[in-house]
Amino acid sequence: MTDASMSPESVAPKSGLATIDARTRKRNAAEKRFRLYGMAAIGVGLLFLVFLFSSILRSGLPAFTQTVLDIEFVLTSEQFDTAESKMMKTGEYQNIFVAALQEQLEASGLEVAFDAKAIERIVGKPGGTIRSFFLENPDRIGTPVSFELAASSRVDGYLNGRVTRDTIVDSRFLMTTDLDLVDALRDAGIIHGAFTWNFITGTDSGVDNPGGAGLGASVIGSFFMMLVVLFLSLPIGVAASIYLEEFAPKNRWTDLIEVNISNLAAVPSIVFGILGLAVFIQFAGMPQSAPLVGGLVLTLMTLPTIIISTRASLAAVPPSIRDAALGVGASKMQSVFHHVLPLAMPGILTGTIIGLAQALGETAPLLLIGMVGFVAREYPEGFISGFTDANSAMPAQIYTWASRADPGFYEKAWGGIIILLLFLITMNAIAVVLRRRFERRW
Amino acid sequence: MNDMRIVERDVETNKVKIAARNVQVYYGTTHAIKDVSVEIEDKTVTAFIGPSGCGKSTFLRCINRMNDTIDVCRVTGDILIDDYDIYDPKVDPVQLRAKVGMVFQKPNPFPKSIYDNVAYGPRIHGLAKNKADLDDIVEKSLRRGAIWDEVKDRLQSPGTGLSGGQQQRLCIARAVATEPEVLLMDEPCSALDPIATAQVEELIDELRTNYSVVIVTHSMQQAARVSQKTAFFHLGNLVEYGETGTIFTNPVDPRTESYITGRIG
Repeated sequence: MTDASMSPESVAPKSGLATIDARTRKRNAAEKRFRLYGMAAIGVGLLFLVFLFSSILRSGLPAFTQTVLDIEFVLTSEQFDTAESKMMKTGEYQNIFVAALQEQLEASGLEVAFDAKAIERIVGKPGGTIRSFFLENPDRIGTPVSFELAASSRVDGYLNGRVTRDTIVDSRFLMTTDLDLVDALRDAGIIHGAFTWNFITGTDSGVDNPGGAGLGASVIGSFFMMLVVLFLSLPIGVAASIYLEEFAPKNRWTDLIEVNISNLAAVPSIVFGILGLAVFIQFAGMPQSAPLVGGLVLTLMTLPTIIISTRASLAAVPPSIRDAALGVGASKMQSVFHHVLPLAMPGILTGTIIGLAQALGETAPLLLIGMVGFVAREYPEGFISGFTDANSAMPAQIYTWASRADPGFYEKAWGGIIILLLFLITMNAIAVVLRRRFERRW
Repeated sequence: MNDMRIVERDVETNKVKIAARNVQVYYGTTHAIKDVSVEIEDKTVTAFIGPSGCGKSTFLRCINRMNDTIDVCRVTGDILIDDYDIYDPKVDPVQLRAKVGMVFQKPNPFPKSIYDNVAYGPRIHGLAKNKADLDDIVEKSLRRGAIWDEVKDRLQSPGTGLSGGQQQRLCIARAVATEPEVLLMDEPCSALDPIATAQVEELIDELRTNYSVVIVTHSMQQAARVSQKTAFFHLGNLVEYGETGTIFTNPVDPRTESYITGRIG
């Protein structure tokens, strides 16, 4: 037996190149398996992304539209004169409007009984709007004029599916019976959703008027904050990185500073918020909710990001370039500013933009300096007051809306997220383009 | 016979340009250069040879104080250029480096145009009064770098787009643009192919008429081809220094003989 097992035949036969042995098969299988794991991981990631985007778009897009009551009617000059002679002028216009509405509904073959109160619940009191239009444009009397009147947020919600007949509670805002009228108006094509700029350019409304709420003022607030962040963190960050990377001696102190900068990048943002509250507002007496304070706090937060990315891009410049500059007699500073810094610039700009984008989406620190509670009803009056007047910022506004009771604000919050994401995607795209454009090889 | 050969090589004794006395270099606790004294002549090519890590590049970098940029590096002893101590606190290393040009192992043109590469040194030192002056300096330097004919039509194209040998000659042109008196070359041909090497070597020989050239090389053949004087470094010591002919044919120290015959290093 021993002899047999020792004989050449019992040794594993030498396989040809075409035959795959068990070991190779196992290795190949492992490789294939690993590739599958990777693809599965990416698939899951993409799935989440698709889910995220679709849910954001689905919930947020209605914020950009406003349900309007679109009606065209002719105001005769007799009607105008009569209405102007009445005590309740706007009431008279409203009656004319209701009559016109009735007429159009009947023309569409839809018969619904309604009263003026129901109209008020759906579109508010349109008389004033109509009257002021004809007072300003008297030449339009007697010609067909079409009015787009914003419907109330409840009607908006009903048409968007946010409010259903089952969930609605009779109130002075909307009665269940009104919904029949809304249905009829929708079937007649009188009431429909239309894109509105108000969400983008408007300012925040009170807690009971989600329909009129816009993100405009807080976009401006964010803009002024980003100005502060850019003009403080870029020079400070770049100067600090150049010093640390090129000039500072390597000793215990600079090591300590480096470790602390890295640690700062990991400090939770709310800590910066409470620091800002204590230092800038309580100690330095700066105004609450002001973009200036928000910008200062976000600068503190962004600095480590900018310093780390700037140092990385400075370190990526090959030392041979520094040698070359020093070799022809450039001073240390000349070699840095003439050669190293221009080469590191794309990296620095990319890091800065990414830092800014991060700061733009930051909410927690703003929570503590009072930007979240503030209702930004007005645009700042001028450039200076843009920094010092209380305002909100995009993420703070979204947070505020999300925490309001009226479900109409829920949709506005999602809409705000769409705008915020658009800004972030744009900034990141700029960073990518800069990096591609100025990427150098040597 | 040996005496005869030295005469054949037509070596004339020039005045001393660089004199090093008892130079010690420490990298932290490492003693990299041990008590080196050497006198380098003007209008001569001096080659530093020796195995890797023997300190020849370190010593070369002492001559234009490039070692100052390394924090842990400490240099003691005197290095005199034209009898003036370059480690005197009154000496500004920046001015020194304009006077002592350097060419590095890897061609390292700035990622700028060929013109700007050469013009950079004269610009920062204010050597040109106007644009025409600067143009002259650039042309003269590129001619000295033996690259003018190849690049005269594309001075505005990037220096990094040239071939390796052209890049190295551009770097030499850049180094001579500041009118240095000494040219230090740290293995200038190690990244080049034989043809480019031959061009650069030819150039080094031409440069000898104007400058004192010090070249560090790994190739003993190159040292023999281009230099008049050779210094052999080993483990931080300057083992032997003398006429190139003598070093290669009749070395005094057994270590030198071992190295050039290929037994060590």
